[in-house]
Amino acid sequence: MGRKACGDACDKVTIAARSQPPVASNGDTDAWDDPLERARSTRWLEPRDGSRVAESGLKLSGIHCAACAGLIEAALGRVSGVVQVQVSGASERATVQWRPDHTSLHAMIDAVRAAGYDAVPDGAANERELRRREHRAALWRWFVAAFCAMQVMMLATPSYLVSGDELSADLRLLLNWGSWVMSLPVMALSAAPFFAGAWRSVRQRRLGMDVPVALGLLVTFVASSAATFHPGGWFGSDVYFDSLTMFVSFLLGARYLELRARHRAAEQLESALEGVPQTALRIGDDGVPQPVSALHLQRGDRVLVPLGQAFAADGVVTEGATAADESLLTGEPRPVDKAPGSHVVAGSINVAAPVKMRVERVGHETTLYAVMALMREASTQRPALARQADRWAAPFLWTVLLLAAGAAAVWSIWDPARAVWVAVSVLIVTCPCALSLAVPSALLAAAGSMARRGVLLRRLDALESLAEVDTVYLDKTGTVTEDTLGLRGRARLGMAEDAALSDDALQAKAAALARWSAHPLARALARATPGAEAAWLDVTDTSGAGLQARDAQGVVWRLGSASHVGADADDDAAAASLWFGASGRAIVRFDFDECLRGDAIAAVAALRAAGLRVTLLSGDRSARAQAIGNQLGVDAVIAQATPAIKLDVVAEAQRQGHRVWMVGDGVNDAPVLARSDVSMAMGQGAAIARQQADAVITGDRLGDLVFARTLARRTMAVVRQNLWWAAIYNAASVPLALAGWLPPWAAGLGMAGSSLLVIMNSVRLGR
Amino acid sequence: MASLARSDAPVYSDDVIRGFALMTVVWGIVGMLVGVIIAAQLTWPELNFGIPWLSYGRLRPLHTNAVIFAFGGCALFATSYHVVQRTCQTRLFLPGLAMFTFVGWQVVIVAAAITLPLGMTQGKEYAELEWPIDLLIAVVWVAYAVVFFGTIGMRKVRHIYVANWFFGAFILAVALLHIVNSAAIPVSLTKSYSAYAGVQDAMVQWWYGHNAVGFFLTAGFLGIMYYYIPKQAERPIYSYRLSIVHFWALVFTYMWAGPHHLHYTALPDWAQSIGMIFSLVLLAPSWGGMINGIMTLSGAWHKLRDDPILKFLIVSLSFYGMSTFEGPMMSIKTVNALSHYTDWTVGHVHSGALGWVGLISMGAMYHLIPRLFGRKQMYSVKAIDLHFWIATIGIVLYIAAMWIAGVMQGLMWRAVNADGTLVYTFVESVKATFPFYVIRLLGGLLYLSGMLIMGWNTVMTVRNGKAEPVAIPLVLPAHA
Amino acid sequence: MDILYLLIPMSAVLVLVILGVFAWATYSGQFEDVESEGRRILASDENGVDNRQAEQATGEK
Repeated sequence: MGRKACGDACDKVTIAARSQPPVASNGDTDAWDDPLERARSTRWLEPRDGSRVAESGLKLSGIHCAACAGLIEAALGRVSGVVQVQVSGASERATVQWRPDHTSLHAMIDAVRAAGYDAVPDGAANERELRRREHRAALWRWFVAAFCAMQVMMLATPSYLVSGDELSADLRLLLNWGSWVMSLPVMALSAAPFFAGAWRSVRQRRLGMDVPVALGLLVTFVASSAATFHPGGWFGSDVYFDSLTMFVSFLLGARYLELRARHRAAEQLESALEGVPQTALRIGDDGVPQPVSALHLQRGDRVLVPLGQAFAADGVVTEGATAADESLLTGEPRPVDKAPGSHVVAGSINVAAPVKMRVERVGHETTLYAVMALMREASTQRPALARQADRWAAPFLWTVLLLAAGAAAVWSIWDPARAVWVAVSVLIVTCPCALSLAVPSALLAAAGSMARRGVLLRRLDALESLAEVDTVYLDKTGTVTEDTLGLRGRARLGMAEDAALSDDALQAKAAALARWSAHPLARALARATPGAEAAWLDVTDTSGAGLQARDAQGVVWRLGSASHVGADADDDAAAASLWFGASGRAIVRFDFDECLRGDAIAAVAALRAAGLRVTLLSGDRSARAQAIGNQLGVDAVIAQATPAIKLDVVAEAQRQGHRVWMVGDGVNDAPVLARSDVSMAMGQGAAIARQQADAVITGDRLGDLVFARTLARRTMAVVRQNLWWAAIYNAASVPLALAGWLPPWAAGLGMAGSSLLVIMNSVRLGR
Repeated sequence: MASLARSDAPVYSDDVIRGFALMTVVWGIVGMLVGVIIAAQLTWPELNFGIPWLSYGRLRPLHTNAVIFAFGGCALFATSYHVVQRTCQTRLFLPGLAMFTFVGWQVVIVAAAITLPLGMTQGKEYAELEWPIDLLIAVVWVAYAVVFFGTIGMRKVRHIYVANWFFGAFILAVALLHIVNSAAIPVSLTKSYSAYAGVQDAMVQWWYGHNAVGFFLTAGFLGIMYYYIPKQAERPIYSYRLSIVHFWALVFTYMWAGPHHLHYTALPDWAQSIGMIFSLVLLAPSWGGMINGIMTLSGAWHKLRDDPILKFLIVSLSFYGMSTFEGPMMSIKTVNALSHYTDWTVGHVHSGALGWVGLISMGAMYHLIPRLFGRKQMYSVKAIDLHFWIATIGIVLYIAAMWIAGVMQGLMWRAVNADGTLVYTFVESVKATFPFYVIRLLGGLLYLSGMLIMGWNTVMTVRNGKAEPVAIPLVLPAHA
Repeated sequence: MDILYLLIPMSAVLVLVILGVFAWATYSGQFEDVESEGRRILASDENGVDNRQAEQATGEK
């Protein structure tokens, strides 16, 4: 039916989608209708006829053309029990009202699939609804203000155009009355948030920014009303309804734009969270994949991840080789290869081939959740710089109030008709908001930009420090080197009777066993040996020692440390080697080595070019550390650095007046990091949540360090610009207002424009 | 009447649309014919023949009422009833009442055709009809509003397509304007006096007059534009969001432009100035709408080559843009000092009427009529193309002639000798205008010929077509 | 300009009515997801029946 509308391109998509085998579904496992799961996407309505109707949000996929939305609407509409469907093609979402006693989410999603598309319940539906309500209210208030301002302007124009007695007193009264009526909706509806905010502040005995605004509006309205109905009285006969309504429109316009920006940021956050799929294919004991809610996965579960689907939990690849798109978390646009033994993160997308994985962390333990928690926390912080600016706000506001009162007093002697208006202008023109906004807006914009690159700030204050550092200490292990090891070599230690197995066969056997362990060396072995297949039974994993298992012939093998497998080892090789043997004898030893990160050398060069002194800290012995240091091109190397030594080094540098930037292991070096002016760590997984560092770099790129510093300097420049602007603007406009040279409408324009300017300046950082 | 394909399927109420669409063509021919006659009479006054019923003074309002309310009105009824049903996916609310609006409206027109030549007039421009007909108009209009808004209330699609907003605003505005302006005290069945007097009446009259243009001739036809252009071009409107902003922007500046018709009259200076300022403000939303419509063809301009209906629709928007620029310019007092009472005003009116209203109506009817009779296209597409070119040439001749005549008149009337006497007598300016009246008549004749071609094409299309009921596509199934 | 005693109160009422209409439009979601609503009129579904009927009636393709 819809083919004519869609055309060739759409037909192809539809056919392609249909040709994929549908996910095996068992009628008993209604994963989406699990009440726990459903609560995220569904709310309940009580229509007047007393029945219960559910309203659910669905996230759609496969929409490729404009008519697809209509097809999905039709498909959902045909499901018996569906009351109403609304599909948004632009945001790829559907809102469905349905009767739970007639149908289920599962049935509706099946209908969408039958039409050639796909859908999952929209876990963020409730938050989206809240945002929608907020948006509607903001739009409505702004429209009321702007529309009424236009009408009031029309009615006010004659007063500006006439001279002398052209306008009779009666007519003037009529025009003023009309303006008064049109200002009522603005005061009652549009300006309500200002009055509410001011009232709240006053009740808490604080002076918030809404107070001068509310005061200014009230005074203007009351004085203009008095001038309307008792012209010639104390307030004179000039009315300023046009200024009043225009001022409210400007302010609400600025707030509306700010709201849109905030909502966009929140939507970005949400779409990141949606990267985690709602269901996963858990492989049961019988080997058959069953769909279960991702919330029910547990550590140790084996999961099948089809091509194109996102990983539902953090874990390790056990079978198959693929590539994962991790741009969600790390900003890395190129898919990262994943072989058996590779670590995968929840939310990344499987882009090459189906694989099986073993779950290690679920739900709130996953990297993704930790990242989101970090971002949320950072966005609600009030950084020190901002708190400093805030401390100026209260005295500033008091000063303004006093100045306004003083101006009213002085002018009431000099030219009483203008007293009120001068006071109002003073109240309105000052923009403490610029002061309050100057810092947070810039910091937040910068934090957002960094987050998109995979650099997550825990403390916004760190940006200020980062801009001023002149010395950087790089930890070796896991920082300049990859935290995964590479297989460097193997050595046969074996006896004659094991000659039957070739080195490669041995490695393959060992690698197959290695997949059972999450130990870095085991993972490295598994990764280095793709396609290794062997059956192992009775596998046990002893922490600190290694694996033990029985092979198909019943022989017991061990893989792990020298002592575990039964080999003599000297200290040199101990750290980075795995032994593999059977019956108490080691047969082969695998040696591993760490490799430098791809962009390490370039990053160090860039940091030095930026004027920083770069020092490498390593727990290794001198020769080895020096070799790596030379490779990197650092200014200095400190070898055999224990945590105590690291702390001393940092303290000494600070005593000498340097500002220190430490990049290292956020979990184990907590004291050192705390001591540094700025600390960062390369991180993955739940470790992020335990980080004590100021920022976590989730990508694998050292280049992000350079990016972060450059951005930090730009941010501080913008903050300075914002603060200067706030100062200059207030210093210039308040005297003008006091002198009576600033009509209220200009005051309103200035105030709104000033806030907007600060916000726009900060938004530049987000690009 | 043909049998229904499925006897249980609900169908659209298209009979009333057929009626209005066909009468649009008929009244178009009639109104333009009267226009040609009075143009001829201005050129050769002998053509009044001394017969009262044929005199210019009586035929002019017949022409304006016929083209605006008969031709334009039927086009608006037809298209609004069509668009509201198709975009709401439901049939008309109270189809019987809709049919009453059809019959009632034709009665209004016929009554106008009889009473105006008989000299029964209230003397208010575009509101000449006497009070009994005014009452009938009010009744028909209220019925229209009930049908239209009732249909929207019954819609099966949650979103109200933008065209319906324009139609809705047009219906409500015209209701308000008509009722307020036509307030009169009857003294006999055929005579009444306006409830307002002197300059107060002038103000109300031009508040009505300009907003009749603004809402009847602009908002209503913009509704037509926003539906039929995307339908004919098979592309969505360039920016649907802009169309919504356009609507509300127009509503913002709605009702204060009227005084620009009264520059340099007894109206107070400040009132004239307001009219000027807000007429200028109106320019922005108008052009926003024009750009939105024209840019719909962005990326598909080649369609203009082969599709004459699109030519009608898109060229009408250019004339709309031109008129909505010219209008604000002419409302500037200094410009108005030259143009007021000259033929430039006539030229301005006709660029809007012939160029915008005429062409968009023709385009919409060419789209609609075949579909009402079970066909995809009019009987002859070549004839549509011919009509387009003849009409366009006619418009250009008309407005060029009137511009030149208007400016010339303005200059001649204000030419003053050194001693303060007028250089030219009024009659001299009339004589100088003569050749331009001839050219204008020629332009009008061409425009009328185009309409006659449309008439023939319509007859052939209806003869070869079949009025089939159209089932309403189901949006949701009947549910428990 | 006594007529303004009629026109201005009338405008005031009209403004309130317009505000009411805009409120209804905002809160019933008329301004949401507008671009796809603009395309809805072009959905072939809508005229699908028209065309089929037309084909039946006149035998033209």
